[in-house]
Amino acid sequence: MQTDTEHRTSLLRLAGNPRELLAAARSNLELWANLLIIAWALGFMLWQGVGFAISVGTVFAIWAILSVSLNLVVGFTGLLSVGHVGFFGIGAYTVAILTSQAEYEQLRTEAIPTFGWPFFAALPVGVLLAGLVALAVGVVFNRFRDDIYVLVSFGFAIISFNVFLNWRGLTRGAFGIHDIPRPQVGGWALSGELEFLAFVLAALGLIVLISWFIVTSSFGRVLTTIREDEEAIAVFGYRTTHYKLAVWTISAMMAGLAGGLFASWTSFVDPNSFILLESMLLVAIVILGGLATIWGSLLGAMAFVLLEEGMRFLPFLPTIHVGQARLVVLGILLVLLMLFRPQGLVGRYKL
Amino acid sequence: MIAQRISLNNLLAVVLTLAAAAYVGWKVSQAPNQAIQFAFNGLSVGAVYALLAIGFTLVYSTVWFFDLYYGAAAALGAYGVFYLRSQETLGGLYAVNNIVVNVLFAAVTAGVVAWALHASVYPRLRSRLQPTVLRGMLGLLAAGAGVYTGVVLTFPQELHVILSPVLGIGIAVGATWFLYQAFQGLVAGRVLLALVAVSGVAAAALGAYCGYFVFNAPESKLYLSWGVSCMLAGVVGLALYRGLYVYMRERSRSPLIMLVASLGILLAMTAFTSIVFESTPRPLPEALGSEPWTFAGATIKGFNVFTVGVALAGFLFLLYLLQYTSFGMAVRAIGDDEEVSKVVGINTTTVIAAVFFIGAVYAALAGILSGHDTAIQPRMGLLLLLKGWIASVVGGIGNLHGAILGGFVLGMIEQFGIWDLAGEWRDVISFVLLILFLSFWPRGLLPRK
Amino acid sequence: MRPGSEQIDDHYVIQTERISKHFGAVRAVRKLSISIPKRGLTSIAGPNGSGKSTLVNLLSGVLPLDGGLVVIDGTSLKVVKAHENPVHGLTRTFQEVRLFDQVTVWNNIMVVLSERRLFPALLERVNPMQRDRARGILESVGLWEKKDALAMNLSYGQRKLLEIGRAMAMEANIYLFDEPFAGLFPEMVEKVKEIMNRMREQGDTIVFISHNMDIVRELSDHLIILDSGSLLEEGAVDDVLSRPKVINAYLGT
Repeated sequence: MQTDTEHRTSLLRLAGNPRELLAAARSNLELWANLLIIAWALGFMLWQGVGFAISVGTVFAIWAILSVSLNLVVGFTGLLSVGHVGFFGIGAYTVAILTSQAEYEQLRTEAIPTFGWPFFAALPVGVLLAGLVALAVGVVFNRFRDDIYVLVSFGFAIISFNVFLNWRGLTRGAFGIHDIPRPQVGGWALSGELEFLAFVLAALGLIVLISWFIVTSSFGRVLTTIREDEEAIAVFGYRTTHYKLAVWTISAMMAGLAGGLFASWTSFVDPNSFILLESMLLVAIVILGGLATIWGSLLGAMAFVLLEEGMRFLPFLPTIHVGQARLVVLGILLVLLMLFRPQGLVGRYKL
Repeated sequence: MIAQRISLNNLLAVVLTLAAAAYVGWKVSQAPNQAIQFAFNGLSVGAVYALLAIGFTLVYSTVWFFDLYYGAAAALGAYGVFYLRSQETLGGLYAVNNIVVNVLFAAVTAGVVAWALHASVYPRLRSRLQPTVLRGMLGLLAAGAGVYTGVVLTFPQELHVILSPVLGIGIAVGATWFLYQAFQGLVAGRVLLALVAVSGVAAAALGAYCGYFVFNAPESKLYLSWGVSCMLAGVVGLALYRGLYVYMRERSRSPLIMLVASLGILLAMTAFTSIVFESTPRPLPEALGSEPWTFAGATIKGFNVFTVGVALAGFLFLLYLLQYTSFGMAVRAIGDDEEVSKVVGINTTTVIAAVFFIGAVYAALAGILSGHDTAIQPRMGLLLLLKGWIASVVGGIGNLHGAILGGFVLGMIEQFGIWDLAGEWRDVISFVLLILFLSFWPRGLLPRK
Repeated sequence: MRPGSEQIDDHYVIQTERISKHFGAVRAVRKLSISIPKRGLTSIAGPNGSGKSTLVNLLSGVLPLDGGLVVIDGTSLKVVKAHENPVHGLTRTFQEVRLFDQVTVWNNIMVVLSERRLFPALLERVNPMQRDRARGILESVGLWEKKDALAMNLSYGQRKLLEIGRAMAMEANIYLFDEPFAGLFPEMVEKVKEIMNRMREQGDTIVFISHNMDIVRELSDHLIILDSGSLLEEGAVDDVLSRPKVINAYLGT
């Protein structure tokens, strides 16, 4: 048979057969997902104006840093960690405690000392502290795999939440820490939303760059092989525990950075931002966007933020329920993804 | 090498146990009354953990993946009781009656009943009746069950009235069946038929009496609501397995897929609960034995003793089910090798579905008991689930005896651990215990053979 | 070489001294002492469950030793660490092909060619030398066209070849092949034979497990026969195969 007739018949078949049409659409799902989410974002911006983009942009950037960092662990190294919010919290609390300008001595509630450090001095401390804790935790966690790893990472999230809530001499427990200043460069404070957005986006750019540098290096290649078969790659001369520990620590430091930015942005930190549910949400975002791609994590964070903002405009949904309703939608999405697309929208690794 | 490590671990175990015993002994000698109090608390908390661990172990050792719905089931049970009782207790302060919830559960129940009838009754009657007629009848039955569930959820004030006929009929049928089984071993033929007929009349009288008793006893509503909540949690568990997990397992054998999917379910259900009931803690109405007793300087509630009793009874029931029934044999066979059990003719889908039902009922019961003891909030499910996991790891994962032991051990260690710390650190204590066990004794106290 | 261990001979590249391994109550390897001569092909044969794969796993550090001593290339070890295999110039394949499934064929090879140390690995990008090496290896196992495919999408024979290619990329002196011929089509078998002969010509040591006595007789110089975790016979192939014990064991069962 000639090639052009073959081609024509296949096109005809495709047009007439919904199942094949579906299959063709599915093979281009990545493209559609990209286009849809970007169009959604642009449409939203046109509708709501640039001011909207500025206020949502910071939320997006912080979620994006978190999900890119978690993707290094979950997507590239294959360690399904549900405890990432702990490192986020460590970064946030370190920056909050060190920079807070409130005089707690005068309040009747828990008193903690006021340090009043500048933001740029406190942020590296937060990042380092997150890294150090990750190093210590990672040494213990390294021996676990698969579902047991999930279980112990749940444990880490719960332990860190309890520390934030109950070590009142350090964190003021449920009262939270307030009056956290915005960063200051020389005499110029990043007090405006636009300035802060630019700063956070720069941080996101840095994180993406570092992650890209990691995953395109030989180091990143080793991570993917650890994910596939840790025992086999060890035979070829790799100390897999060191690699896992390294990527875990790097990822935790990135989360710590996100935490520092978050604290400075909201100017108030309390344990409710670091509950286990947030961690599960983060895992859902990473899987939704796509495992083992950096772009996927950005896409996932964007889709999530758009979802949340979009739900605010649903007429039948009261605004106070939006925070919970997005979890319902995300949970159902997660189930559907596991059923039909276990690598996420644009992922490179199937669970 | 291995031998050295094991002995090192054993040494560590002995040292740690001795240290713990010495600490507890010292504390006891300091304040014996307080020690008794902590032991009571440990037992009652441990009973809830044990109940969770038993059900969890049953499910886990059959399908070998972590099902996080299990936590949602615990919350569902507790909130089910709250839902059914909220209009009459606490002056209706937190009364909730949501049409969406009612329709949702009615639909799920109808679906599950339809599946159950299709799996059990349909094959037996297929040859006797026309397929369309049979299907129509079964469909009507299923729809009826759905409507009935909807009615129960919509009018919880009349729970005793609505449920009493079903309860009476259930008791009558159950008693007849039990007597039939008992007589079957003794006599046969016409004598058997006569005996069954006579006993059937007696069973019907018993059922009628029980139904009448419940009908006239509005105070039974709380305990009826326990039963309804457990059933609903079980039905949802079964529906999730049959409607979702079966297809996922066909596509991929990766346990992480199932884990993440059930994570999504837990996330969605927890958030949905928060929407319907708000996320702040709520009290459950007082159940039996809320009067504290004083015993050797310690106070204990009758309800806590009851909880321990329920845990033990639940354990014994499951042990009987697994060891002495053909269902239990099928469950164990599937746990050993699912493919082989399929080949030897076990209907694995039905058996596993039943296992999910039972597991979810246990979780719901644990959620209810702990809810009566403290308070309920949407997040409770995840925490209870994790405690159940920890208890089963401590006891030896996949072992039923280990599960109940692990539950009580975890409860005791948590309670004695917070003696010198504040009570809010108990979650930290249990996770530290988990990591200790996983690092040094990953097979637990009673390893599975 | 260590003082005090006189048995260690420069002639042998791997020696084991009374090594054992048990899984629960099953004793897979029982106080086994064997010697594998330097250069040439040595094959390990024996019935199912005789401990062949366990032996290879012990030699490559995939399983920890329960007791005994392994001497690899003059170094005697009580604990064989998997990540030190390149130090001894040792590499292996697995019986149940263990590739990095969701990684491309190209990266399956590249990962063996790249830097092992943590920080240099972070800085390393693919360089032309590695690229040429990887290309050479993929061409020699006939998978160059498939370089961008995921390893999980290859056929069984191609997977087996890729695994051998991955071992070749190590540039080792000692190759342990666990059942390299099992489940292969005849033309694939020829290809693997050819690769192994090429390695022999380069002066490497090749150890392989096989059930197929024809291939063993055709290829190997030295033969070790195991039976229920212990040594039955070892020596030159023709010699071993003519011993009555072996004839009994193989014809008797």
